[in-house]
Amino acid sequence: MFKHQFKYTLKTLFKSKSLIFWTYAFPIILGTFFYLAFSNIENSEKLDVIDIAVVETNEYNEDLVYVETFNRLSDDDNEDKMFNIKYVNEDKAKELLNKGKITGYFILKDKPSIYVKENGINETIFKSVVEEINNTKNMINTLSEEKIKGELIKGNQNIDYEKLYNEIISKINNYKSNIQNVSNDNLSYTMIEFYTLIAMACLNGAILSIIAINNVLPNMTGIGKRVGVSPVNKFKLILSSTLASYIVELLGLIILFIYTIFVLKVDYGSNLPLIILLALIGSFAGITLGILVATIFKLNDNAKTGILISFTMLGCFFSGMMGITMKYIIDKNIPIINKLNPANMITDGFYSLYYYDTLDRFYFNVISLLIFSGLMIIISFISLRGQKYDSI
Amino acid sequence: MKKVIEVKNLTKKYKKIKAIDNLSFDVYEGEILGLLGPNGSGKSTTINTILSLLKFQSGSIKVFGKEMNTDSYDIKRNIGVVFQEVAVFEELDVYDNIDYFCGLYIKDKEKRKKYVLDAIDLVGLSDFKKFYPKQLSGGLLRRLNIACGIAHKPKLIFLDEPTVAVDPQSRNNILDGIKKLRDNGATIVYTTHYMEEVELLCDRIIILDKGNIIASGTSDELKTLAKIEEKVTVEINNLDDRTLEEIKEFKNVDEVSYTNNNLIITYKKGENNFSYLMDYLKKEKINYNKIYSERPTLNDVFLELTGKELRD
Amino acid sequence: MTVFKGFLKILNKCKGIVIMYTVMLLFFGGFTISTSDENSVNFSEDKPDILIINNDENSGITKNLISYIKENSNIIKIDNDEEKINDALFYRDINYVIYIPKNYRIDFLDNKNPKIEIKKVNDYNSSYANMILEKYLKVANIYKSEIDNENILIEKINDTLDEDVNVNITEKQNKSSLERMTFYYNFCNYSLLASIIYIVCLILSSFKNEKISKRTIISSMNYKKYNRILLLSSMLFAVCLWILYVILSFILIGDTLITLNGLGYIINSFVFTICALVIALFIGNLVTNKNAINGIVNVVALGSSFLCGSFVPVEFLPDSVLTVAHIFPSYYFIQNNEMLEKIKITSFGDLSKLFPNILIMITFIVIFIVIINIISKNKRKIG
Repeated sequence: MFKHQFKYTLKTLFKSKSLIFWTYAFPIILGTFFYLAFSNIENSEKLDVIDIAVVETNEYNEDLVYVETFNRLSDDDNEDKMFNIKYVNEDKAKELLNKGKITGYFILKDKPSIYVKENGINETIFKSVVEEINNTKNMINTLSEEKIKGELIKGNQNIDYEKLYNEIISKINNYKSNIQNVSNDNLSYTMIEFYTLIAMACLNGAILSIIAINNVLPNMTGIGKRVGVSPVNKFKLILSSTLASYIVELLGLIILFIYTIFVLKVDYGSNLPLIILLALIGSFAGITLGILVATIFKLNDNAKTGILISFTMLGCFFSGMMGITMKYIIDKNIPIINKLNPANMITDGFYSLYYYDTLDRFYFNVISLLIFSGLMIIISFISLRGQKYDSI
Repeated sequence: MKKVIEVKNLTKKYKKIKAIDNLSFDVYEGEILGLLGPNGSGKSTTINTILSLLKFQSGSIKVFGKEMNTDSYDIKRNIGVVFQEVAVFEELDVYDNIDYFCGLYIKDKEKRKKYVLDAIDLVGLSDFKKFYPKQLSGGLLRRLNIACGIAHKPKLIFLDEPTVAVDPQSRNNILDGIKKLRDNGATIVYTTHYMEEVELLCDRIIILDKGNIIASGTSDELKTLAKIEEKVTVEINNLDDRTLEEIKEFKNVDEVSYTNNNLIITYKKGENNFSYLMDYLKKEKINYNKIYSERPTLNDVFLELTGKELRD
Repeated sequence: MTVFKGFLKILNKCKGIVIMYTVMLLFFGGFTISTSDENSVNFSEDKPDILIINNDENSGITKNLISYIKENSNIIKIDNDEEKINDALFYRDINYVIYIPKNYRIDFLDNKNPKIEIKKVNDYNSSYANMILEKYLKVANIYKSEIDNENILIEKINDTLDEDVNVNITEKQNKSSLERMTFYYNFCNYSLLASIIYIVCLILSSFKNEKISKRTIISSMNYKKYNRILLLSSMLFAVCLWILYVILSFILIGDTLITLNGLGYIINSFVFTICALVIALFIGNLVTNKNAINGIVNVVALGSSFLCGSFVPVEFLPDSVLTVAHIFPSYYFIQNNEMLEKIKITSFGDLSKLFPNILIMITFIVIFIVIINIISKNKRKIG
């Protein structure tokens, strides 16, 4: 009996076009959108080359430090090229700024000044670079003073200014900072998007169990009525249908994993057994959610599917699908939402595997999912226990 | 005769409305019992309650001599049900649909295969084995619906309006099939609001209205309840009042009406009424176009008992 | 009237969907707004958010390093818990972490140029934070090689670093509120598209399913009139939704909406609403299977939202994607929103800057209307 039910559940699920769309095609389509939309985001967070103008005044042309530094920073061959520079007069610079062609312009009259249109990252960087050039100038001055003072104290009257200046410059140029970056490698922002995708695929699996289980419930469908009058235990059938929908769901998930890993290059971290564990439990949570929706709402299949998809999309929205900041905002401000949100449990589980070395947070999510699934099963069981109905 | 179903004092309420009101009846082995009644008279509710799908407030139901319950699997194994609505998988073809439902009863694969093919034969779908429900016409779909319910060769079969919205050809096929099932030894409970079907098919009839049994018996027994034995209709142009009065005085006459050039005479008893009328018309030299005599129908019975038509 | 009543009944049945998308919009608009609440007109640098973990004593040259960083950044305090730090970094709550090692002061004064560990992410603010730190360390280390006295050293370092550059801002406008507007209206792209397509398609499929439409075709009601009422009802719904979203934006973001830029947002979103409506009508005419509607709504709404920059800022989208995005009306809607954020509109004439994109949206509308007419004419004869 179990086998019979299992076989036919598989057969009907695989032949249903809308089911195959939601569990197989939709996540892949969406994943491709993500991939297209986010493929550039990590790179463009790095510094762009900034368009600026420099006003050519006499003071400027005489100030070698400025001239040389700006030349170096706008040199195409320089790896650290920061600026595209237009050398113009002041009116032209103003015009360029107003038209939005440049971030700002630099003018050296009695004091170094920059003109910008607004506050912003590029403006700030522009300012910071000019400050640094200014600092270098100051350093040269200060160091020269110190050196000269030192030489004078030593009683040396014949100071070789040129040598001294070169020493200072080489000191400045040869300076090597001793900063070590110990950041975590796995910082990619977009991974969470893909984790929400997996979460969505897991929860959409609920549609499978909704359809499969509706077909054994006498108060939901005509087919269910037929099954209801047959000499078969309802729970046995539900168990069999659930298992079949779980299998169909897992197959969809495997395809999605293969697609995201090999085509979209999503990084799930390196702990394969735990990734599989989370996927198994996550999709199980989805299946149990479907059992609940199937048993407690007395609506047609289409309406049930609608309810489920809305629930899933909202859950994914809160766990960061439409912008990762949403997850963080919710986590920080209304944590209860995401503590109860199964989409977030799955997303957060993958995220913690990818990002943390410790597993506390991962297990917290896994346990949350198990509790969630348990609750779904208990509520469904209670509403299923009455085997006769007031009306059908 | 052995009782297959015993229903005693059954009452079922939907919220406050009584759908079945203190209903008692028996079904005997090998008969076709017709449950007749207008829409909403409680036919389907009665069946669903007997099948233990619905809760009921009071009364008892025994099937095959045992108390019927949700988990009375040994009873259920011998029951086949064809519900009013078509309930088949859109995703499965004709063969698979029947095989699925049959498989809920019959485990043995070889046996099941034979049963499924028998059912397909019985309803005449042999040419459509690989068709999907969407490709079948309404009548064929109904036949599939029936095949799904009876493929496991049950001893007791419930058929809930299996012929609603079915073309005449399919209807005849279905009715023949039902007779065949009875001939093979099954007991059948058949609900419908088509009285012609009941008269044609059923050994015994129960007429339901508002959850009550208002009459039961064989077709002929029921018709005696109509208090009329014969109804004669004569098409006459311009009948005068005097003649009408004279006709009213005939022997056995219950009622006479004359509307739209139709003279309708109903008789309490049915002996020689027709020839007497003919003689009278000849004698009076009254010309008529058409004249025919009818036996009362179950509709007349229903009309007599409830004051309303069976079909609304 | 009967048609309109039927329309309202179906609308009432699926109001849940509309509410859901509106809630998403509210969350998106409402929360991101409360997080970026710095509102300044003076030049305040976009300061990076830095976390300093000091394992050294807080005195002398170490103290000076910290106070310099403090001056030039927003110091964020987070428990010294690697998990929390990583979290904050991941979500860009902090851009940069500086770990000052033990004995930093002593080692520094010993000319050892001690190693400083940092954590950063790949964004502008992190790079800027890095620049700040590098700048300081460069000056400090170079001076150290010449100056031994710690106090003089600190003084010289600070003198050098203090020297400021004059910064002049030519345009002063409240940009952050425009930024929020754009954010909000960009997300509107998703909410409007999804709600309108979903509702209109569901209603059309209910009215146009074969049995009902057969009935209406043979009924006494003029087919054109019938269609017109359906169209007007859908339009009424779309416009009401649009008005609701405009009001919500006013409640959430405030008076920026009453400026000319605000008017720009309103006009732009109105044209887009109509565009969404005709797209919905187009889909509704093509698809009558209710099961399919859910799928199509999600693919169309999410797809054009992701690809056109409704969720992801447009400047982060790869060029190739933006090229493809040109085929969606959403692209032009969002381009206009972005433009409204960047330029200040001072006269009604300035609004004409929005026209090119609006014109393209109108072209889309016209094209869709033509297609809808062709489809519905063909469909009027069944089979």
